[in-house]
Amino acid sequence: MAAARSAGRARDIRLAYLLLAPTLLLFGVVIAYPVGWEVWTSLTDLSPLKDGSAEFVGLSNYRRLLVDAEFWRATLVTVVYAVVTSAGKLALGLGFALLLARPFRGRALVFLAIFLPWAYPAGVSVIGWYWTLNPPTITAYAPFMGHLKFYVDSALGGGAWAFTSVMLFNVWRGSSFIAVLLLAGINSIPPELFECALLESKSPWRRFRLVTVPLLKPFLALGVFLSITSAFADLSNVWMLTAGRIVFPLVGTHAYWLAVKVGQYGPASALALTMGPFLLVVLLVLFRLFDRAERSAA
Amino acid sequence: MAQVMMKDLNKKYDEVHAVKDVNLHIRDKEFVVLVGPSGCGKSTTLRMVAGLEEITGGEITIGDRIVNDLPPKDRDIAMVFQNYALYPHMTVYDNMAFGLKMRKFPKPEIAKRVQEAAEILGIQELLKRKPRQLSGGQRQRVAVGRAIVRHPQVFLFDEPLSNLDAKLRVQMRVELKRLHDRLETTAIYVTHDQVEAMTLGDRVVVMKDGWIQQVGEPLELYSKPANRFVAGFIGSPAMNFMEVAVAEANGALWLDTTGLRVKVPAPLAGRLGAYKGQRITLGIRPEDLHMATSNDPADYSFDAIVEVVEPLGSEILLDVKVGQSVIVARVDPTVRAKLNDKLRLALHPERVRIFDNKTELAI
Repeated sequence: MAAARSAGRARDIRLAYLLLAPTLLLFGVVIAYPVGWEVWTSLTDLSPLKDGSAEFVGLSNYRRLLVDAEFWRATLVTVVYAVVTSAGKLALGLGFALLLARPFRGRALVFLAIFLPWAYPAGVSVIGWYWTLNPPTITAYAPFMGHLKFYVDSALGGGAWAFTSVMLFNVWRGSSFIAVLLLAGINSIPPELFECALLESKSPWRRFRLVTVPLLKPFLALGVFLSITSAFADLSNVWMLTAGRIVFPLVGTHAYWLAVKVGQYGPASALALTMGPFLLVVLLVLFRLFDRAERSAA
Repeated sequence: MAQVMMKDLNKKYDEVHAVKDVNLHIRDKEFVVLVGPSGCGKSTTLRMVAGLEEITGGEITIGDRIVNDLPPKDRDIAMVFQNYALYPHMTVYDNMAFGLKMRKFPKPEIAKRVQEAAEILGIQELLKRKPRQLSGGQRQRVAVGRAIVRHPQVFLFDEPLSNLDAKLRVQMRVELKRLHDRLETTAIYVTHDQVEAMTLGDRVVVMKDGWIQQVGEPLELYSKPANRFVAGFIGSPAMNFMEVAVAEANGALWLDTTGLRVKVPAPLAGRLGAYKGQRITLGIRPEDLHMATSNDPADYSFDAIVEVVEPLGSEILLDVKVGQSVIVARVDPTVRAKLNDKLRLALHPERVRIFDNKTELAI
């Protein structure tokens, strides 16, 4: 009996590992190895421009970052980018979600209009935006855009218009996603919870503040986290919307530039890795928020 | 404290006419139950009283105010929902205080009222907990407490016990009844459970397909159902129905079908005269059947074959075949019956109900 049971258990364990294997393999190939490689590289002077093997340089790449004005500028730009776009996306997304939460005539069309920016292939819409903001040929609005670009750039410095357009694009596309996420959140809340509030208050604002927001907290937290991480990791949109002429670099684009254009693999890796601890803190703060709501959820 | 009047109340959605010409006068302090199968319009009616559904036609009056255009908050009602509708992010105390807070009551008054309601419901120890940490019965108590603290003119209950298990439902039913006796607040209660309706309601409103079928005190509905639907809906096990022909023989009227031939009892004979030669529906409640003895006249007894025996302890339910139909008889627990036994059953002639086949109305 006991032997049979332990044989059965051994078989179960083998099966469990077998079922886990694809995930472990994927994790190892796509995450563990590249990150491990990056951590190692950040501790060396590896560069395609340097002959011979890479040498271990300890934390010197990190130490150099701390006194590098470019690094601090990129950090500041990244934080501004993440905060401004997240706030914009959250405000718009929440508004859209609340709009779509109730039935009205033409709701399906409005839903489509709101969801399309997210559903549409990013690459194509980036080019659409780029050509709209920087018309390649003479169009009716080309002079207007030219003037706008001129005023923004002369007020805020060269490249400001391009940076603004990156933020606009990010908000345009991201608010669509946040709207759908929050709409799913609202739909998962029993309607009686909103009706109960309706019985007690006439003020939509009070109901929103005291009922809707607390109930949506887990979804808001998830939305903020996804929004912040995607802003930090944004590379392709910035690159495409500025045609590579990046005046306001993010940590990610700066690291890419350092590695691919300048060939400094070590400092670039160190730079990219500095985002890790920051995002971890954001995640923990938001997770606490998320988890608290979750633990008390009925 | 208020009466509630519904006058020619109608609700239409795009395709569906959910509530049709409902006229109902609920008296002050009365406990009225709306009961019916799902989709009968009972919840929609309640939600129109609450102000959660717009009224398509007609008028609702609470107290002496027409409330058609009043927002829910100003109707002075409190509602208890089937799924409790407690806020997961608030403690029991905050949930109960929610309505008063939204209405900007002073804090000491809120505390006093919550304390009071918690005592009535026996949930003082739970005030600091979150809904998640409560059992179903406790959650339902909190939901009721949230309604009590408001001291509303009318309580609205939307299937409040449906999410509880059977035992707890019976217990909460008694508690709600006691609570109503104590608070004496007008209450409208929606349920699909006819037992709940019968036990709780001062009066019961039976609905079907948006129409009111009958309004009456529980026992009145039971003994004098207005139509075949009410007769079948109220009572468990349900009333037996058999289609029979009305025939005249030997100077008397007889109800006749395969395997059954009973004499029309004297009081019914007059009303059945017009149906001579036609078919009608005979309704017999299971408890109005018994094992025939030598005292039972042959005119009111018939043969039956046992198909299923359900011994319930205090009684036995026999599913028996009479001619082509299967009917249920509720008999004494001392009766010993086996599958395929042939029995002779007798009915209480004065308790049978008869219904018009076309209109389904009681004759």
